[in-house]
Amino acid sequence: MHHNVVVVGGNRIPFAKAGGPYTQASAHDMLTAALDGLIARTGLSGTRVGEVAAGAVLKHPNDFNLTREAVLSSALAPETPACDLQQACATGLETTMYIANKIALGQLDSGIAGGVDSASDAPITVSDPLRRILLRANAARDLKGRVAALSRIRPAHLAPDAPRVVEPRTGLSMGEHQARTTARWEIAREDQDRLAVASHHALAAAWERGFFDDLVTPYRGVTRDAILRPDTSLERLATLKPVFGGPEGTMTAGNSTALSDGAAAVLLGTEEWAREHHLTPWARVVDAQVAAVDHPGGADLLLAPVGATGRLLARQGLTLDDIDLLEIHEAFAATVLATLKAWEDEDYCRGLGLDGAIGRADRSRINVAGSSLAAGHPFAATGARIVPTLAKLLHERGPGTRGLISVCAAGGQGVVALLEAV
Amino acid sequence: MSGVERLATAPGMGKAFARALLPGTRGEGRIPDHTVELAPQRLDPARLADYSRVCHFTLRDRVPATWIHVLTFPLHVHLLGDPRSSIRLVGAVHVSNTMTLHRPVDAAEPLTLAVRVENLRPHAKGALIDLVGEARVGDERVWDGVSTYLSPGAHAPGEPVPVPRASFAPADPHALWRLPQDLGRQYRRVSQDPNLIHTSRLAAKAFGFARPIIHGMWTHARALAALEGRLPPAYTATASFVKPILLPATVGFRATPTADGHEAAVTSSDGAKPFLLMGVQRAS
Repeated sequence: MHHNVVVVGGNRIPFAKAGGPYTQASAHDMLTAALDGLIARTGLSGTRVGEVAAGAVLKHPNDFNLTREAVLSSALAPETPACDLQQACATGLETTMYIANKIALGQLDSGIAGGVDSASDAPITVSDPLRRILLRANAARDLKGRVAALSRIRPAHLAPDAPRVVEPRTGLSMGEHQARTTARWEIAREDQDRLAVASHHALAAAWERGFFDDLVTPYRGVTRDAILRPDTSLERLATLKPVFGGPEGTMTAGNSTALSDGAAAVLLGTEEWAREHHLTPWARVVDAQVAAVDHPGGADLLLAPVGATGRLLARQGLTLDDIDLLEIHEAFAATVLATLKAWEDEDYCRGLGLDGAIGRADRSRINVAGSSLAAGHPFAATGARIVPTLAKLLHERGPGTRGLISVCAAGGQGVVALLEAV
Repeated sequence: MSGVERLATAPGMGKAFARALLPGTRGEGRIPDHTVELAPQRLDPARLADYSRVCHFTLRDRVPATWIHVLTFPLHVHLLGDPRSSIRLVGAVHVSNTMTLHRPVDAAEPLTLAVRVENLRPHAKGALIDLVGEARVGDERVWDGVSTYLSPGAHAPGEPVPVPRASFAPADPHALWRLPQDLGRQYRRVSQDPNLIHTSRLAAKAFGFARPIIHGMWTHARALAALEGRLPPAYTATASFVKPILLPATVGFRATPTADGHEAAVTSSDGAKPFLLMGVQRAS
């Protein structure tokens, strides 16, 4: 039982810097906005879609059923089921594969995958000792017990905990991990800046030609990605001071992604379902692969997708030459550059258990409509931004063209997916 | 004097409210016969976000109909604080409300707001008046609303016409809402209605309530928010405020689909007694 799964549409709200125009919007608000824009454009108002899967990396405890609640606030039929999934920055791609796999197996005829994150509205929790004391006080049978428990609160317990973006096992932030990888793979500052400029220019050009007209709906007065700087230049980026890797570091705020707010969604279905709903299939979801590296053992945290890419291409009997477009998530400019070097590195690839180097990628095929450096990176939303973007780019190029998506994620993980235009 | 009193900025609620607190004059009820119109105001997006949060709406670019009512409310206060009005807002009871959103309205659209008072008529307990509001974008009417208030003790000539009661059958609620003690304060912040009966126990007592009561337009908004995913692009929402809800409270909510919309009730937690009856219908 195998059905062809096609991407028939996508929608996101423009992404924006944390603390910017979406400061008052919650993850629920933004995910609902992304869903409602998709529903309006594809005429699915009141329709019971097979399933909706989405997630957020920074998640409030009250949002335990974030996606289902957003579905209930949306124009979809309230009988549309939903679930929350999370795989750090790969969430939006992993939810796409969850829905796609169910459709392929015949369990669904349609579904929506998505992701959302608000770095502005990040959950703040009480400190661990305070939480334990409060739980003990709550469980106490009488006032005396409650008072006894509460009397143990110390001033130091009262400082709130903001979510940390460090790896629990290494104590290093994502940027610090990448800085090590950047140095190890000898990625030059100028190359990083050049890639960042290219990302801004490519995204600006895509906006300019109306590419995003059926991929984005405005929200809270924002009509375009608010992080995008169409006029940025190599000279301007060269003036920025390094933020990771010490004073000799090469990674700056200009070639690293900004903390962002945003939401994105992808509409998937069988070809029959797409036809019945008068929707044009853009691309078929062909295959996907997940991989992880031993970063507590010193492996490059953000290069986990390399192993996934090699295994996926091998399984499909393809080489990089067969891939027309590459979407490599720009966690940092150096992530993309290190990934490309790793693909060419015979020893590194063999060390991952691959048969040899993956190969050299044609730079003109990478992130042709810009990526996270220019668009922003609301963690869980990024995969769901990339999938419809790539599907539409492939559709423009014609049937049979192939695209590969590579997304790195916290925990030393990576997800890679293959799309083919129909 | 009929005509239009044009305001460039929203009237300050404090002063107008103080005037609206003065006891109404005895004898035959009088209402101003002019319209107050407020030029489009720059809206603080944070206030709509706060309103959405307090009333449980998802924060959208398209505003709920009840939000436009909130925007017109200072004009209600201003009009009934007018010396030509013998009817005062404080002490008056909001008995019913009807509003129509003629098309989706974006939060950023500049709204010209106008309110007039009309239809002074007798009621068994005093007199009824209608505050008739309108919101326009340029010349296009996008929203209108009628808020009916009962002014106890006021007089209007003629025989009281019985007010039709919305039908209600007790039924188990679909949901329970827990309304915290400070909800009145939260809603005051977003509605900017300073009426103390929603926040002060003392003031509530003075008006015959044991505890502060939640604003009827909060309850209306909360009920509308419960249907938000199913609201048509243009709709008419009607509300009958049957009984006030004393804070804090746990109340029931129930909604049933009709041919062209929904009927909903906010009730006691056992579903036996109604506080608010609401209808939502598609508007053409």
